[in-house]
Amino acid sequence: MTTSPRPPLLVVKGLVKRYPGVLALDHAAAVIEAGQVLGLVGKNGAGKSTLIKILAGATHPDEGEILVGGEPAHIHTPHRATELGLSFVHQELADVPNLTVAENVELGLGYPKRFGILLDRRRLRAKVREVLERLGAEDIDPRALVSTLSVAHQRMVMIARGMAANARLLVLDEPSASLSNEEIDQLHRVVRGLAETGVAVIYVTHRLEEIFQMTDVVSVMRDGKMVLSCPTDDLNKASLVAHITGSAEVAPEKRDRAVLSSERGEELLRVEGVTLPGVVEDVSFNVRAGELLGIAGLVGSGRTELVRLIVGADRRPHGRILMRGQEVRIHSPSDSRRHGIVLLPEDRRSQGAVMDFSVRKNITLPVLRSFRPARPLPLPQVRRERAMAQEMVSELGITTRNIENPVRYLSGGNQQKVVLAKWLRSGADVFIFDEPTHGIDVEGKDEVYRLMEELALAGRAVIFISSEFTELVGACNRVVVMREGRLVGELDGEEVTDQALVERCYVDAAA
Amino acid sequence: MTEGASRASDLEPRDGAAGAADRRRAHMDRLSSIVARYGLLLAFGAMILAFSLAKPDAFPTTANAKSILTAAAPALIVAAGLTVPLVMQDFDLSFGAMIGLAGGAAVVLQSQDDWAWGLALLVALGLGLAAGATSGFLVAYLGGSSFIITLAMGTVLVGLEYVFTDQTTIFAGVSQGYIDIGQGEFLGLNNQVWIAAGIAIVLWVLLDQSELGRYMYAIGGNPEAARLSGVRIRRIRLTGFVIVALCAAIVGILLTAQGASSVPNTGTAYLLPAFAAVFLGSAVFRPGEFNIPGTVVGVLFLGVIQTGLTMLQLETFVINLVQGAILIIAVLVSQLGQRAR
Repeated sequence: MTTSPRPPLLVVKGLVKRYPGVLALDHAAAVIEAGQVLGLVGKNGAGKSTLIKILAGATHPDEGEILVGGEPAHIHTPHRATELGLSFVHQELADVPNLTVAENVELGLGYPKRFGILLDRRRLRAKVREVLERLGAEDIDPRALVSTLSVAHQRMVMIARGMAANARLLVLDEPSASLSNEEIDQLHRVVRGLAETGVAVIYVTHRLEEIFQMTDVVSVMRDGKMVLSCPTDDLNKASLVAHITGSAEVAPEKRDRAVLSSERGEELLRVEGVTLPGVVEDVSFNVRAGELLGIAGLVGSGRTELVRLIVGADRRPHGRILMRGQEVRIHSPSDSRRHGIVLLPEDRRSQGAVMDFSVRKNITLPVLRSFRPARPLPLPQVRRERAMAQEMVSELGITTRNIENPVRYLSGGNQQKVVLAKWLRSGADVFIFDEPTHGIDVEGKDEVYRLMEELALAGRAVIFISSEFTELVGACNRVVVMREGRLVGELDGEEVTDQALVERCYVDAAA
Repeated sequence: MTEGASRASDLEPRDGAAGAADRRRAHMDRLSSIVARYGLLLAFGAMILAFSLAKPDAFPTTANAKSILTAAAPALIVAAGLTVPLVMQDFDLSFGAMIGLAGGAAVVLQSQDDWAWGLALLVALGLGLAAGATSGFLVAYLGGSSFIITLAMGTVLVGLEYVFTDQTTIFAGVSQGYIDIGQGEFLGLNNQVWIAAGIAIVLWVLLDQSELGRYMYAIGGNPEAARLSGVRIRRIRLTGFVIVALCAAIVGILLTAQGASSVPNTGTAYLLPAFAAVFLGSAVFRPGEFNIPGTVVGVLFLGVIQTGLTMLQLETFVINLVQGAILIIAVLVSQLGQRAR
């Protein structure tokens, strides 16, 4: 007589998820046993979030199968995921800040009641205190308002919520982001403790040291595929990095940088000790005419915050900003514009485009003054606006039948191109592109690279922010790397490789 | 309505993935945009026709047309002014009180303090400028909610009006020159009609043809994108409050000039009709977007209804009910146009 082994807690087979123009998941597979901690790693866009969203019931796969406890599971809704015992702590905190810890933990689970209707706060508190004790987080007061807690404690509350719902599988999406070292240690103890009680944990992180500290198995995703699943002990840091980047593959051909590098001219922008406490710490760099400078870093490393500070879009930072060696004071984007620095923002819907404006009106917005019939007459000539917009539309290959159509009706990639087109005729000296290729298809990306290159060749300075390292390797002649609000490295010319960027973004500088 | 008007008609399905759903959507868009764009104009025409048939001797006459225009003139001035901040999604609820303050101050300064009427008039305009700049500063620079700030500002302005007028009606001592502004005629029409037309044209050029107007619509559409494009959004939003307050001050002057007197708290009555007209107007020409030509139609529409219903000798409460209902329907229709986009 042999007892059949218990089926794995969760099995994912052949998951495929297509988005327009992208294969987000390409037959991804994974297995996790009860009591295991699985580290899930991969670059941005590798497919981790899509996989998690499918498990959470937030989106549905096009193909593939999910088994929970050996039974096929159809996770149509987040509610179904909860029923199956799957619990999620997303990167963005999803708690209700103006409720207490206890109220948050039991939210939606049916609060204990008195006389059938009145909230029984005492029993609620006792119940939640017990859950927190089980987690080893007894230092959190169930009566405290969640808004008064640290980020670390708020994450604990979210974990406690999963426990209160009797979760069998807990998915933590970058739980250690913006936590201090001690807080991370506490988090690790809690996660290990949960695993010992038989809960399975999927732990998503960009910090490779965490993988080696606390996971049992590792799964690596790349381009929507699960490229590696093995016990953590079988790996070392170097081999893990190699799997993440897929450096065994041939790197995309490096563009001919010879022209650019030799033409580097005078220094245009210099940033000295720019600091906004807690966001950006003491960042200094410069960029010269004819240069294409990359800023590498993971989401949340402070890249976007840094460039927004430079153009005066947020609060005024400490430190100095110099244009052509002269210190400039920038209080607002219009000041920055006047000094010749423009930012092409990351999020086109909320920051880049006026969605109800036509293609023409969006493109001419920053340069509207140049359409005056005479200098003192601020009545833009629509005919000349049209000509210019038409020119940009054909130059960038924007697909639209009519430049008078609202940008809202264009596809995402075309919207992004409109945002780029806005600035190209602005006569600025320094162009900052924040993730300009997000959501743009392959040919579109080439267009964007070519545009940046042309700007540089025309003697402008270009700053290019991207999470896709291959992009930076292909386009830039120099790259600075940001991590946790600081510049942690600079790579020049031949030093700019995918491998080098990954190491600097993920691994402690000390390590 | 020049270039913008072409907009809703050539809606096209999203390029690339032009599925059946997109085509259906585009079709619905076209249908609802026609309803939204011409519905009010048709209703306007039908209304005039109906009143003309009901009262053939009194309604379709030159004298009646003139009186409707004269009565609509002050309403048009404030409604056109109000269109400007609304384009930027800013509310102004203080202009009713501003009308009373400007009128009261201008009358009291000439009748009790013996100021030259021209000077009194300039002081009234100056008060408008100051009040608008204050609201604008509090909203655009200090980040107050325009709704609450202007509501509070309205209370302050009513208080200031009472400082001048002591809450009494003032008949005596209004200069003839001042009275002529509101009562005089030019080319057969009351001066107020010409002034209102002039202001509407100026504000139309400002919003539709000028750089500033383009920036204002951009701020209304996406303030962050406008700001990152180098638009000085705080200054421009402040300008919006100044424009509506100045328009209100002008109306205060015209009303007291016409009546040769200052009656306490006259302005508040203009609050709802002005909002009604602007929202009605956003249902024509450019559905979902506030615009001056639309506002003009909205004001005339409400003026015609008011006169027509009065001629039918309906009770005041019926007139109120009908006007309220029309406003609600118009707002829903204009939102329909907006949702379709």
